[in-house]
This record gives sequence, C-alpha cells and structure tokens, in this order.
Amino acid sequence: MTVGVLLMTHESMGHALVGAARHVLGRLPLPVDVQEVAADADPEQMLRMAAAQARELDCGAGVLVLSDLYGATPCNIARRLPDLGVRMHCVSGLNLPMLLRVLNYPEQSLDELAQTAASGGRGGIVVDNP
Amino acid sequence: MLEREITISNRLGLHARASAKLVQALHGFEASASIACRGKEVNAKSIMGVMMLAAGPGTAVTLRTDGPEAEQAMQAMLDLFERKFDEGE
Repeated sequence: MTVGVLLMTHESMGHALVGAARHVLGRLPLPVDVQEVAADADPEQMLRMAAAQARELDCGAGVLVLSDLYGATPCNIARRLPDLGVRMHCVSGLNLPMLLRVLNYPEQSLDELAQTAASGGRGGIVVDNP
Repeated sequence: MLEREITISNRLGLHARASAKLVQALHGFEASASIACRGKEVNAKSIMGVMMLAAGPGTAVTLRTDGPEAEQAMQAMLDLFERKFDEGE
C-alpha cells in the first residue's frame, strides 16, 4: 500500500517538475497527480477538484501534498483538504530534490514520507564554495 | 567490507539519470553501499546523496559495500559504471 502524491502549485510549476522527475527516473514508483492553480481560479472549485484528485490517489495510505509556496493560494487550498475528509500531510517549499527524494522512498508511510520530503527539499540547497 | 576504485567514464558523469540508475541497480540488495570522492562519502542508495557528489567525468570514486549481499551489490555498481550507465557513449 503506497502513499499518493499530489502537487499543488502555481501555474506551470507542477507539471514541469513531474516532467523533470520522469526524465530522471523513467517510471514513477508512486501515483502522482498535479493541480496547478491559475491566478483567476475559484478557490472553492479548486478545493473540490483537489479533494477528488486526492481521493483518487489515496490507496489507503493517505496523500502527501507538496505545495510550492507556504501561505500562497495553492497551499492554502491544500491545507483545507482534511476538512473534506482527505487524510494527508502538506509539505511546502516544493523543489525537484524534494520530489525526487519522495519518489526514492515509495515504501514509506505518510508520516515518514513528509519528513523525507522536508529533508530532501532542504538538503537539495547547496552553496558552492568558490 | 568490499572496496573498489573506479573512474567515471560516461560523458555526463554522475548526473541525475545516472544517479537514479545506480540507486535502482542497488535496490533490493541486502547490503549497504556508498560512494566516496574528494573526501566526501554518500549513501549510494540515495539519489540525492549520489547527486551531492557532483562527480563529473574523469572523477575517481571509491565504491564500498557491506552486508550479506555486498559482492552482488558491488558487481551491480561496477557493471553499471563499466557500461557507462547504458548511455550509449
């Protein structure tokens, strides 16, 4: 039983990241879906759509929501998903290292995977010493 | 513990897809595996770990494996390096 992964992002971010992950990994080992929230989108409608996507992704182990910016609308919508009965963790600050690391640990539980995502996102930021 | 030295010979080095292939090749072996170069040692079963080496072509790396299937894991890594990660170059 694996966790489902839902990317909730600003426009053109989520699909681009999934495309890059596919390029690196080939087949993705977890079910992944994307919701990109357009600037003029209706948040209530987006919430209902995200809940439907989350239910589709949930095979019983819950859904890991990855959002690009904490406090922004895609993230704010995501954080309301539990009100609609979605079992999830939301991790913000989505970047490609975070997504790759999540996909490298498909056997983890929802709680573990949220921590894996956070450490992957942080650990992927490197300042090169000249 | 087994230890082998090898020089990275594919055109793009240990880039993202090569790192992913390495991690996939090691998946399922009952062995720990690491790669070391320039004084840094990382878990070879972790994509982000391997990527953090930023090891380009011509870099000499030390492969280490340990555990019940250390030999098979080492061979899987060596094969992949020798096949230049199946990148056809």
